[in-house]
Amino acid sequence: MRKRLLWMTGIVLAAVCFTGCQKKIPSPGEVAGYEEGEEYLSIWVHSIEDTEEGQAYRESVDSFNEAYDGQYFADIEFVPRNDSGGGYSDKVNASVMAGGLPDVLTVDGPNVAAYAANGIIQPLAELTEEEKNRYLPSIIEQGTVDGRLYALGVMESSVGFFYNKDLAEEAGIDIPDADHPWTWSEFLDILGRLKPFMDERNGYPLDMTFPVGETSIYYYAPFVWSGGGELVSEDGLQANGYFNSEQTAEAMRFFRTVVENEYMSEAPIDHLFESGRAVFKFDGAWEVNTVYANYPDIDLGVAPYIVSDNWDGEAYTPTGSWAFAASSETKDIEGATELVKWMSGVESGIRIWEMAKSFPSTYEAFENIDVFQTDENYRALYMQLSNYGHPRPKTPVYPQVSTSFQEVLESVALGGKDVQQELDKAVERINSKLERYTRE
Amino acid sequence: MRKKNSIIGMAFFGPALVLLTIFLFLPMLLTFGFSFTDYFALNPELTHFVGLENYMDIFKDDLFVQSFFNTVKFVVIIVPLQCGGALLLALAINRSAHCKKYFKVAFFIPVVMSLAVVSTLWMQIYSPEGILNTLLMKAGIDAQPFIYSADQALPSIAIMSVWQGVGYQMIIFLGGLQNINPALYEAAEMDHASGWQKFKDITLPELKPLCVFVFITVTIGAFRMLVQPMVMTGGGPDHSTYTIVYDIYETGTVNWEMGLASTMAIVFTVFVVILTIIQNILTKDREGRKYVHKEAKTD
Repeated sequence: MRKRLLWMTGIVLAAVCFTGCQKKIPSPGEVAGYEEGEEYLSIWVHSIEDTEEGQAYRESVDSFNEAYDGQYFADIEFVPRNDSGGGYSDKVNASVMAGGLPDVLTVDGPNVAAYAANGIIQPLAELTEEEKNRYLPSIIEQGTVDGRLYALGVMESSVGFFYNKDLAEEAGIDIPDADHPWTWSEFLDILGRLKPFMDERNGYPLDMTFPVGETSIYYYAPFVWSGGGELVSEDGLQANGYFNSEQTAEAMRFFRTVVENEYMSEAPIDHLFESGRAVFKFDGAWEVNTVYANYPDIDLGVAPYIVSDNWDGEAYTPTGSWAFAASSETKDIEGATELVKWMSGVESGIRIWEMAKSFPSTYEAFENIDVFQTDENYRALYMQLSNYGHPRPKTPVYPQVSTSFQEVLESVALGGKDVQQELDKAVERINSKLERYTRE
Repeated sequence: MRKKNSIIGMAFFGPALVLLTIFLFLPMLLTFGFSFTDYFALNPELTHFVGLENYMDIFKDDLFVQSFFNTVKFVVIIVPLQCGGALLLALAINRSAHCKKYFKVAFFIPVVMSLAVVSTLWMQIYSPEGILNTLLMKAGIDAQPFIYSADQALPSIAIMSVWQGVGYQMIIFLGGLQNINPALYEAAEMDHASGWQKFKDITLPELKPLCVFVFITVTIGAFRMLVQPMVMTGGGPDHSTYTIVYDIYETGTVNWEMGLASTMAIVFTVFVVILTIIQNILTKDREGRKYVHKEAKTD
């Protein structure tokens, strides 16, 4: 009797090892709502189901299934990711090797080029001009590689140049309008005037940091763009002459000046701006919500993102977020495109704002959300995004470009190292990653 | 009967073996294989065999070399502090008459806490207006940048790591101390041995096997430093806290260059294995000699 028990346990243990290893496309009826005659479309999102964002995706998929009842059935899978993007991207990488990519998946904006160049995603089916015009230009631009549209996002993002209205007024600083931003020189003058004013208040004119990770290139690449510079060539395959150009060097020198004059704290101080000890701060659009909800004493304003002295009106402000794309493994690109359009559409955009407070990606969604008409700060961010949004560099070696940008910024602005030397060193590193794409 | 037993044994051992093969041995072999290729995670079809190219490339890579030396620096700071600290704490607790349990738990708590949580906590402690700088100011010392300066970041993280890990080795030493036969100390007392003599001639030799174990595990643990710099400094400032494992992670998962990352992992493994063997030989040799010595005496 005991032996039999032992045997059973052993076999069960062995069997357990092999379960969960298999995945296949379900047949109609196996998944609730999937009926005979419908086309099965799988979709992966980089989110946890229990979050507001996850729920928004779930609802969008449900409404898609309702709208396309009898034609398509979309089945959503949630793949959590950590801050640095692991988890989700690990699963995508594994599926690239072993097969099993879904029909539609989410891709972070700056990774669209790499995914496209390596054949993980394919161009969407043709969209009409009218359909394209619904989206903010930055969304179309972000999803386009080599003239073909690969991805459409439901979310757009922006960074605000926030200021403390009370402090600005007290110091006698007038904020310019959106189309006449301060140039660097003008801004340095203002910082100089504010320095003694803020010293008295045990603070700094500017609350700014250069953190490791995506933040640095996202917040500060606009300084390069506004001077007419780019970080990589248009095809994304060349860094020499772009990343180490005079425009990039100038932007880096500007940051060095700010640090050298102690207009900002070298080591990050928590909640400097929120506690009323800084006049200005660069931060994501979410800062508006944070201040409204948690720091009611701060009278918040959005100033136009500052520009190079050589700015001639071109797009330059931060944009970009996760987007939906059709995988190269999907057999029905028409169906996948329908799903991508639905997931990134107006209705989904309004939902993502209402549930997760992420900016939507279409004009119509913005126009239908009250706060973008009534609240001057949200309105300003929306206007900045639709008029001056510039996507991050489109290159298959984006991760290296992003890392290098932060490294140069840190070693030049904080470390005081030679600009040109650091930029050239970075170009070498980027080039070594580009080799893979340029050797043919 | 015996055959049947061995089959049952296999049935129990089998699942573990299968799991180990799938999740440990196979990946190890694959990593070794990948280290000779340019395997790129986003496009595995284009993988070529590149021979020893990766091995030459990584030694020409300034960043890898720097991360290597950073890791060695971590090890050099952490190993003596953590081994010595654990022993001191264990001795202190072993002697203290009151609140033994309280101290044991207090020193062990950081070990059970998640590394990410501990790191975030210490970021607050080290922050420019954090508790540590406030204390320094009270003592009349200028505020220090700690993790925000290229010179101080590495030692700051090392010290925090010691604080986090030391409780574990302390428990091991404590167990060892309590296993020492009290008769030895009684005998020593009759010979009027001083406290230091008792420690040197009884406690240390009796703890010797444990010391070797602690020494080797702490060394290997310190080599694997990743979470603390990842959470606290992102490897900066100026790569001063960038470690080998961090470099492997960045290369493999962020830049998708699995081939190159595999090479780094292999080089790293070989290095740690060699070091462990050296440590083993060094510690074993002495033990052997002592044994011979003792035997000669009894003859």
